[in-house]
Amino acid sequence: MLFLYILRRIAWSIPLLFAVSIIAFALISAPPGDYITSFAATLSESGDVVDQARLDAMRERYGLDQPFLVQYWHWISNAVQGDFGISFEWQQPVSTLIWERMSLSVTLALATLMFTWALALPIGIYSAVRKYSIGDYVVTAIGFLGLATPNFLFALVLMYIAVVYFGADVSGLFSDEYQDAPWSWAKLVDLAKHIWIPVIILGTSATASLVRIMRANLLDELHRPYVTTARAKGLSEWRLIMKYPVRIAINPFVSTIGWAFPQLISGAVITAVVLSLPTAGPLMLQALLAQDMYLAGAFILLLCCLSIIGMLVSDILLAVIDPRIRFR
Amino acid sequence: MKRIIDRVRMRSGRVMAGLMFGVAITPLMALSDAGQGATGEAPALAEKVAAGELPPVSERVGSEPAVIQPLDSIGTYGGELRTGLRGSSDHNGILRVVGPQGLVRWDPQYTEVVPNVAESFEVDDEGKVFTFHLREGMKWSDGTPFTADDVMFNVTDLILNDEFAPIPARYTTGGEPLKAEKLDSYTVRFTFAQPYGDFLAELAAPLGQNPVLYSKHYCSRFMPKYNDNIEELIAAENAADWQNLFLQKCGDLEIPARWGNPERPTLDPWVIIEPYTGGATRVVMERNPYFWQIDTDGNQLPYIDKLVMPIGADTESLILAIIGGRIDFGLRHIDAPNNRPVLAENREPGGYQFFEAAPPGGSNMVINLNLTSKNSELKKVFNERDFRVALSIGMDRQAIIDTVMLGDGEPWQHGPFETHPYFDERTSTQFLEHDPERANALLDGLGLVERGANGMRLLPNGAPLKFRVDVIPTFDPTWVDALQLIEQQWAEIGVDMDINPMERTFFYQRTSESNEHDAAVWNGRQSWVSGQLPHQLVPVSHDSRYGIPWVNWYESGGERGEEPPVSVKKRLELYDKARGIADPAGRRATMLEIASIAADEFEVIGVSKALPTYGIIKNGLRNVPESMPSSWSYPTPSPTLLQTWYWAE
Repeated sequence: MLFLYILRRIAWSIPLLFAVSIIAFALISAPPGDYITSFAATLSESGDVVDQARLDAMRERYGLDQPFLVQYWHWISNAVQGDFGISFEWQQPVSTLIWERMSLSVTLALATLMFTWALALPIGIYSAVRKYSIGDYVVTAIGFLGLATPNFLFALVLMYIAVVYFGADVSGLFSDEYQDAPWSWAKLVDLAKHIWIPVIILGTSATASLVRIMRANLLDELHRPYVTTARAKGLSEWRLIMKYPVRIAINPFVSTIGWAFPQLISGAVITAVVLSLPTAGPLMLQALLAQDMYLAGAFILLLCCLSIIGMLVSDILLAVIDPRIRFR
Repeated sequence: MKRIIDRVRMRSGRVMAGLMFGVAITPLMALSDAGQGATGEAPALAEKVAAGELPPVSERVGSEPAVIQPLDSIGTYGGELRTGLRGSSDHNGILRVVGPQGLVRWDPQYTEVVPNVAESFEVDDEGKVFTFHLREGMKWSDGTPFTADDVMFNVTDLILNDEFAPIPARYTTGGEPLKAEKLDSYTVRFTFAQPYGDFLAELAAPLGQNPVLYSKHYCSRFMPKYNDNIEELIAAENAADWQNLFLQKCGDLEIPARWGNPERPTLDPWVIIEPYTGGATRVVMERNPYFWQIDTDGNQLPYIDKLVMPIGADTESLILAIIGGRIDFGLRHIDAPNNRPVLAENREPGGYQFFEAAPPGGSNMVINLNLTSKNSELKKVFNERDFRVALSIGMDRQAIIDTVMLGDGEPWQHGPFETHPYFDERTSTQFLEHDPERANALLDGLGLVERGANGMRLLPNGAPLKFRVDVIPTFDPTWVDALQLIEQQWAEIGVDMDINPMERTFFYQRTSESNEHDAAVWNGRQSWVSGQLPHQLVPVSHDSRYGIPWVNWYESGGERGEEPPVSVKKRLELYDKARGIADPAGRRATMLEIASIAADEFEVIGVSKALPTYGIIKNGLRNVPESMPSSWSYPTPSPTLLQTWYWAE
């Protein structure tokens, strides 16, 4: 039953991916000009001069003078064979560029997710169970602040304070000496020393919103007759709350896994840019700005794949946790 | 050899010296005297020599190293120089620091072209034959010899190879490419069909490095001509074809991949250790043990061990790094007037000071009415000289300078400054006065008498006289502010102008590529000397937005675009002629003839003089001039010879 369901979902995702790839490619081509135009614009913005003949030759070499459908076909026909083409800007294969950055993106996203859950779950439960207590008000106030502050602004303020008052640099994920060093225990420790700042910055608003969701959901459940019944039968308060209402209230948490996957790449692009994190987000943003078609296209395709997989995983998990949900 | 150098200096040097830049700063360049050997080297290299890992320094630099007189003092070895890069496509930020090591280079004052990779050069009297003497025993950064074969490889296999890329226009005269011959292992000769006086200046600019860019023994393996198994290599490196493979491995003048391969041998003072690639967060370069320049005491350059260039995502993070004291040299991207207060305020905590970067001439803001507009009614009006004059005197430049540019300016059209030998009074200073009455009279005289309900003038066909000025707000933040004042000032003479701010790629596509604009704003920071494109004077570049179809016509040799009017055609002919003239006085006379025709036509409208901007330099860094020219063809700051900069103890 479960197996068939997964198979059906996967089969459906193929036409979906295909449709998304066309839309993605069309969107990337939609702005006026092409990679060459934006290359020329970037250079002349810095007062540099480019050779017009060279530009025209580049445009021809990259096939940018071809009609849209020809370009798309060229890209997708190679992509299904696993060749995502060459990045115009870096003259490197797109797949190498993307994988280089993915490992750090995954690490950061997982760390943030764990941080968010570890904080949001207990706080959410506490503020629901101790509704309108002082602790609840404090948590709620902080939560609203966290929700209302954009991550990147928080990052900017933190960086400014760090530079101006402490003379420290909080950007990046590694100290200078480890930036391009091969992986070692020391580099891992160095990463651990730096990663908590972006994790806190990225985690605050997600934590705040999850606390609110958890609180609201749990409040709905706490007054249900089954809770009263269980309490009347003498179940300990801790076991009662954890076993029944929390299990139901946790539902939206699991749904967020579906969004968490694409967030590996697209999440917190601006924050990553501000903090100069070597993750995939800024590279994707650069590719889109520079109209580096194949690189940007591959990113968007990957995002789409991750969304589909994420949704699938969260659907399966939901069914496991909540016995009322059944596959059809 | 000394004799030859002197003769060259006589011909293209001394006379140019007076002409090129006008103001001469203190002279600090002594030309190489063959025979001086290298004796000193960095401690780290000396250790390697002692361990037998490197040949001795005198062998590494060869028997004819270039001898450089440092600006103030002989330096000491060691330290890092940190400069910032901004995100993607900032490869020229590296180029400007490392410097284009071409056959020749500009001297630090931007007044004359001096030998660089070439030990000396000779030019025949006609300006057609250029002979370059290379340095005996000079080596690539991997220790292999640099000889005439490398130059021949670069010229015949790459510059003149259509399969690789079209032949760059700067290596052709009258449509015919140069001919290169190898006279002996250390002498090459380039011959042109027609006189080409500007050739040396072209070679000194960043785009003139082609003849000595690639090492034959390394880069030839990526060409089918030299490698029979090229297909395997292409497949192994995931490349699309040999051209792509070549660019991946050896780069090109102006693409990021130039700094992406640490294996590629170069002639640069520093070589890549951590490359500039898609995932990079910084670029690191280390001293080239085979660098071929020494100071006057025989110490091998560069003094500074390492260049470290963190890649910030945007200008703001670059500025944050500067005020945090994490950048030692900065000019590119940060020199906008609005950054000045925050940078000035943090001089002490950041431990840096300002230096001046002076544009060679011209204007920061020039309005180009599109004389080839697709809107026929507007085109007719724009092509009336009186209309353009009316707009110019309808502008209150002093008010704009006082409010928008914080007083940092002077009313100016465009063109070289008063102190420059190329200064042309009319081009720069005519129609600067604010005279709305006369402007109104001129417009009435053109028959634009009828007014609409809002008091604005109507075109002869009854439609409102209204046009849009395209502008990139992020390029120069003063432009949009200035345009807002101009909009009000022009409204007083009944001309309805709209500001049309847009994203830079869109701007480029709308103006330079498809000619859809009514008018556009750009700069014109030029002194018209060899190696610069005088794009506000003659339509020769995609930045000549008053006549893009004329540019296309000129660049395609009449095949595409639109045939320009007589006056423009005459100037294009004169411009080609000026580029050929070897005698500086003759070149100047021809350029001034062009300027005089341009002044008669009065095609473009300037606002204010391009006054010097500023960069930051860390305290304790020595041999850095307090003021340097700022230009792409110079290209700031590399001709000030960063290899002679050093850290005070």
